Amino acid sequence: MTSWQAIRLIMGREVRERSRSGPFIVSVVMTLLFVAAILFLPLIFADDDVHYQLGVVGEGNQAVIDAALALANHPGREVTTSVEVIPFASRDAAEKAADREEVDGVLMDGREIVVRGAGGEAGNALEALLQRGARSVQIENLVASGAEEVVSILTSAPLGVRSLSGADPDDNQERSLIAFGGLFLLYMAVLLYGSLILTGVTEEKTNRVVEVLLSAFEPWQLLAGKILGIGLLGLSQFVGTVVIAMVGIELTAAVDLPEVPVDSMLMLLLWFILGYSLFAVMFGAAGALVSRAEDAQTVVAPISLVAVAGFFIAIQAVNNPTSTLSVVTTFIPVTAPFVAPVRFAFQAVPIWQLGVSVAVMMLTIVVMTRLAGRIYLGGLLRFGSKVGVREAFRSAEL
Amino acid sequence: MLELNRLVKRYGEVQALDECSFRVERGRMLGFLGPNGAGKTTAMRSVFNLVRLDEGSVCWRGEPVGQTERMRFGYMPEQRGLYPKMRVGRQLAYLGRTHGMTKGQATVATDRWLEELGLSDRSNDPLEKLSHGNQQRVQLAAALIHEPQLLVLDEPFSGLDLFGVETMGNVLRARAAAGAAVVFSSHQLDMVEDLCQDVAIINRGRVVMAGEVRQLKNDSPYWVIELEMRATDSDSLRELDSVVSVEFNGYRHRVVARKGGDLSDLVARLDLGGNVRHFTFSAPSLSELFREAVTR
Repeated sequence: MTSWQAIRLIMGREVRERSRSGPFIVSVVMTLLFVAAILFLPLIFADDDVHYQLGVVGEGNQAVIDAALALANHPGREVTTSVEVIPFASRDAAEKAADREEVDGVLMDGREIVVRGAGGEAGNALEALLQRGARSVQIENLVASGAEEVVSILTSAPLGVRSLSGADPDDNQERSLIAFGGLFLLYMAVLLYGSLILTGVTEEKTNRVVEVLLSAFEPWQLLAGKILGIGLLGLSQFVGTVVIAMVGIELTAAVDLPEVPVDSMLMLLLWFILGYSLFAVMFGAAGALVSRAEDAQTVVAPISLVAVAGFFIAIQAVNNPTSTLSVVTTFIPVTAPFVAPVRFAFQAVPIWQLGVSVAVMMLTIVVMTRLAGRIYLGGLLRFGSKVGVREAFRSAEL
Repeated sequence: MLELNRLVKRYGEVQALDECSFRVERGRMLGFLGPNGAGKTTAMRSVFNLVRLDEGSVCWRGEPVGQTERMRFGYMPEQRGLYPKMRVGRQLAYLGRTHGMTKGQATVATDRWLEELGLSDRSNDPLEKLSHGNQQRVQLAAALIHEPQLLVLDEPFSGLDLFGVETMGNVLRARAAAGAAVVFSSHQLDMVEDLCQDVAIINRGRVVMAGEVRQLKNDSPYWVIELEMRATDSDSLRELDSVVSVEFNGYRHRVVARKGGDLSDLVARLDLGGNVRHFTFSAPSLSELFREAVTR
């Protein structure tokens, strides 16, 4: 049997047994419910079109209302705002109507807005809407030009933006999104699937099946098979969720999907694989050191801490992708998976840095797998109390 | 044939194996004996590369053992364990495949073993739903599923009831008869004497006695004489040069005497005037060989 056959066999068992286990099915269902909730809740709670009932008293109101609607409904806005105008004969009658919540507010002579004491969201939004309308009318009067021109000035960004790094500045929002979203997913995946590997290894040690397995396989084959199996399962769960979310988004049009740059997406996938591999190997070695699930938390604390540190450094890098901290941590294997894709998303990492970073990362993974295999063998056959890393390492000396 | 050649393993200050050597022949069963902590488990694990040896080598048919060779070995560790939540049938088939069987071969072998052990109807149950005794049977099947040419079992009889012991004994005999080399450790010396042609006795990491049981008994420098006398006084026997020890169990005297001594001296000392009711003269039992070997 070749090593690859052995690894594939172990991988296959992980995928088959885990995919039919209760906890896994629960986690799949929970994820789908979560995605569904994100997609459909806004549909239930928010109606797209905004509608106000506005009381009016006196003259000069319609100009303000027209200008406000022109601004609110300028081309490119998806939400339609409409106002139903209800004329009142006197201030008193209008204020009473507002008090009785028959109208959302009252516009007096195009100069004053009356809202209930606690107008809430609707009141504030109505006020903001009318303020903008009034401002537009004032400018119109001042420059004596057409209303359309004023609307276009007020709704556009007059200054062009050019980025020195050559990035398309219009992409920035999308890049922020993929940097943040990708970072978050990466962090979740590392901790979630890392802990699956930890418990998987500890379980095999606890129920002692590991000695039977090691009688046929090399320790590193066992570790690699487990990591690949759980990784494959995690990746397919992840991809499946994304596909379902995409289809859901298409069907419901709930979220305005930005165009995600393909290069950022690929970079994220690369770092996903590299980051997962490195942390999985570390979690696997940690799992081999303990015999009981209770002890597991103490050995993974340092690893989790490193992941948390990488996460926060990467958040810092979102705001400042070229800071010294961001550059240095690009070359440190445990932080690189978090920092590098963020910097790449903002096109703030020179290609040589990226190359060096990936090379260092791969080298570290190879070295760590060997070390972990040794710790794995030294730790796996020692039951009972927690095994020290050094002790495990020494007892498996070649 | 499995050969362990001068295995050395140290754990810090502890010398687990100290030039430990013995061999297991094909078609024969070897009992691997020794007091607790003598190094039995370490030696057995070294066959499967579970112990990184400081010195020495393990060979199968004259070649150093690698992963290819181990595919044809079966192992039952002292600490039993399988996947508790995995179904019995799938689990056995998986373990068969880990030893290089194809999917089809593994399925056929699984069905056959479950049938043989009377567990056919439990194939789809998770292992943890089975009784302790049945789990032990599955564990045995796990070591045998791929019809190994070498079987290494660490304390296979511990924790088994009478029927379990019988099943285990029969299965092991059958494997040896089919040409496999079988080695198992045990503290139940009667059982070893019953099942094994060969023994190896280890003490403090060193094999202190090894060979064919019958031969070892013949080669022993001692006789054992069992006496039942009306008079309980046997002190006079101790005075003889050839007598090593005399024990009285409240019923019979058990005299261990050095071979080559003049037996007539001994007989002369016995008051044969109708007092002796039982007199047997035999080679030492395996227990005596064992005690002799580890206290030497």
